Amino acid sequence: MNQPDRPTAHPRLDLLDPYEVARLGGLEVLTEDLVEGFLAGLHRSPRQGFSVEFAQHRMYQPGDDLRYVDWKLWGRKDRLYVKQFEEETNLRAMLVCDISRSMAWTGAPGEVLTKLDYVRRLLAALSLILVRQRDATGLLAFDDEVRAVVPPRARRTHWYQLLQVIAALEPGSGTAAEPALRRVVDQLRRRGLVVFVSDLLLDRALTLKALRFLRHRGHQVVVLHVMDPAEVTLAGTTEVRLEDPETRAGVVLRPRDWAAEYQRTVAQVVSDWSLSCNRHGIRYHRVTTDTPFGMVLREVIAPPRAA
Amino acid sequence: MFGFLHPWLLAGLAAAGVPLLLHLLARRQPPTVPFPAVRYLVDTTQEHRHRLRLQHWLLLVLRTLLIALLVLAAAGPIAPFAGGGHAPASLALVLDNSASSGTMVGGTPRLAALKSAARRVLDHASPDDHLWLITADGVPVRGDAVSLRGVVDSLPVVGQRLDLGAAVTAADQVISESGRPGSIVVLSDLQQSALSAARPRTPVVVARAGAAPPRNHGIAAIGLGLQPWSTDGGRVTVRLTGDSAAAMPVSVASQGSIRREAVPTAGGTAAVAVNGGTPGWHVVTTELEPDEFRLDDRRVAAVRVAPVARAQWDTADRYIAAAAAVLTANGRLARGSDVSLGTLGGGASVVMPPSDPALIGALNRRLAARGVTWRFGDLVERPEVADSGRLVGRVKVQRRLTLEPSTAGSRTGVLATVGGDPWIVRSGNVILIGSRLDPEWTGLPVSAGFVPFLDALLNRTARGDLDLLEGVPGAPVLLPDAVKEIREGDRQWPVEGGAAYRPPELGVYYLLSGADTIGALSVNLDPRESELAPADDDAVRHLWPGSRVVDQDRIAAAAFATTARSDLRGPLLWAALLAAFAEVALASFWRRNR
Repeated sequence: MNQPDRPTAHPRLDLLDPYEVARLGGLEVLTEDLVEGFLAGLHRSPRQGFSVEFAQHRMYQPGDDLRYVDWKLWGRKDRLYVKQFEEETNLRAMLVCDISRSMAWTGAPGEVLTKLDYVRRLLAALSLILVRQRDATGLLAFDDEVRAVVPPRARRTHWYQLLQVIAALEPGSGTAAEPALRRVVDQLRRRGLVVFVSDLLLDRALTLKALRFLRHRGHQVVVLHVMDPAEVTLAGTTEVRLEDPETRAGVVLRPRDWAAEYQRTVAQVVSDWSLSCNRHGIRYHRVTTDTPFGMVLREVIAPPRAA
Repeated sequence: MFGFLHPWLLAGLAAAGVPLLLHLLARRQPPTVPFPAVRYLVDTTQEHRHRLRLQHWLLLVLRTLLIALLVLAAAGPIAPFAGGGHAPASLALVLDNSASSGTMVGGTPRLAALKSAARRVLDHASPDDHLWLITADGVPVRGDAVSLRGVVDSLPVVGQRLDLGAAVTAADQVISESGRPGSIVVLSDLQQSALSAARPRTPVVVARAGAAPPRNHGIAAIGLGLQPWSTDGGRVTVRLTGDSAAAMPVSVASQGSIRREAVPTAGGTAAVAVNGGTPGWHVVTTELEPDEFRLDDRRVAAVRVAPVARAQWDTADRYIAAAAAVLTANGRLARGSDVSLGTLGGGASVVMPPSDPALIGALNRRLAARGVTWRFGDLVERPEVADSGRLVGRVKVQRRLTLEPSTAGSRTGVLATVGGDPWIVRSGNVILIGSRLDPEWTGLPVSAGFVPFLDALLNRTARGDLDLLEGVPGAPVLLPDAVKEIREGDRQWPVEGGAAYRPPELGVYYLLSGADTIGALSVNLDPRESELAPADDDAVRHLWPGSRVVDQDRIAAAAFATTARSDLRGPLLWAALLAAFAEVALASFWRRNR
């Protein structure tokens, strides 16, 4: 029996430090290596939502669920194929990416990627995984208005188009997520997957309202709350004026004095987002930019445990 | 009213601005660091920033308050709050030990009660008080309570008169110069005659005079007439003062002889003839029967007894001859060669311009040969009037020769002037008169004052003027230029001629110039001291606006009641300590809980 090839000769990129990964090479190559590594470690297919109506076979890939391996075909052709069903091939996903000015920030330049750089790589990997699954994948980038829209397609070449747009994303100014999320409806006429990637430094009520709207339209919604490690833990001993790059609002304080209070506030914010999302069936993940991509992809791709 | 012991230290209040200045200087804009999640901090820190600002301002206020309190405490604030003694104050105690304070009331001198009250006042003083004592000499004496109490204990009744208005003014001045609030306490018998107006800025507390003074007689003045007396003697006039309606016998004594004469009541005058006795200086003493106020019952005066002048004159000069005849008839002049009247003789001379102008030059040369420092000058013919003086009154002068000093700038010895020019001068024992004693030259020979003029000229001026001065104890008397020493009884001491001299006590002081006695100073009580009637409260308050009049037994409490102010240094230092403690505690607490 032929076992699928497992790329174990070199370190798995999906588990490396994101900054180190980014230093290794271009977005395209690295993303493919990263996805390969990720899929190799997954042991089963990330596919979800299989319908009962058979559509076609495809080559087994590491990580595919063994339940869907066509053993009869393996007996005839001595190759592993998995069965694909109609629903799967029709999955449409929209990656909604926040490119506001706050996303272009890192608390430790030269050590940690900016949130936007981190998101670029994460979205590239995620889109590649989806496209490989022949899921139609689109992209919508916004700051205070929608800056880029790539309609969802399932072709492999489509990923390169996505990659081109992702690589060209530049930080904008403010943040207005609600109109962007409503634009998603135009792109996903059938039920689909919406991955909303943002630092969530935006109008919470409006954003939640828009996310609920998507959920109401039957879309599966995943929220990736991207945070820089320095946004999680406030550090510094000298008095500084911390200034919001978008609004220019600022406070003067000695960070060390406010670390505990800030940490409580951040925990509360995360908790609020999590509760609000869960309450409406929205999957919420908090991601820090020093988290290896593989771990994040696993969270996003893997079906919810409760399900 | 609030006050400060050291108001100049209030300038230090400027230091209270130092915390604010440091606060402003220390304000700096911290470096700006981009931080997208500021919104998580804004709400959290907003309340804290308000609290922090409040804390900063509170600390700033506490620090400013601390400095201000320390500066205020250093300036020695005092407040008009009663209780707990009095704040350090200035007190000027005017203790009237003038002659009238010796009046016996109830068997003790009035001064004893005043001294007792003064001791009570001093007992209330604190070591921090600035104290002055002003007695009859009017000189403020600074000291502490103990030393001033010693002065009070040994204070005698003196013959001086104390002008209470002047004393209050002096007290006000020393208290004002002390720079701290205080009060003036007046302990006196409050004679109406001793009160004068004053406008002190310092509160004045006056002890009420108490029991009414006894009725009193006193000798206000004695007159001895023209001196020197001849050996035949002279007349002593005695004037009484006082508030008694009864006639009082007065005794006049000179060289042991006593002659009594009944005199009228106060204000009346009696003349008593007294024998001259032997030539020389004598003391005439007049005395009343003793009453409750003894010091004004006796008065003394010096009298000079000398033989009358023996003069020679030109009998052809009818005006001089007539006047000399009158003086001779009255025993004031005798024929002799002691004094030459009209021409320059070998001894004392009264010299007139010669009738022949051609002789003026020769006369001037003879005068110069005698060492006379004056000479006759040009003839002035115009109607003038002599300036009124001791020797001669205002008489007409139609013609005169100018009198010129032979030494430039030396104009001593001028006895009478006309229009400011010397008219009668003396140089040694030579007297020059600018006009002949003739109605064609001057109206003097035909005036009523001609005979007394000649008497004074021959018996006093030509023989050497006598300086008969009168004074009261402690009051300045201008001594004649020639006086070198003063003798009183057995004591004798040098003095400066031409300067003021303050006789210390009652009595007769002889003025000496070398071996000669050239005059005498008769020192007696100021006659106003005999008027014992006290001023009422209204009069006191009218003369010293704002003053309080209290009973003598309440004077001690009242003395510091006007300055009964609380010393705020203690409370302010406590407040400063609390402010410092609060600042340290709050700053530490907030720093820990930041």
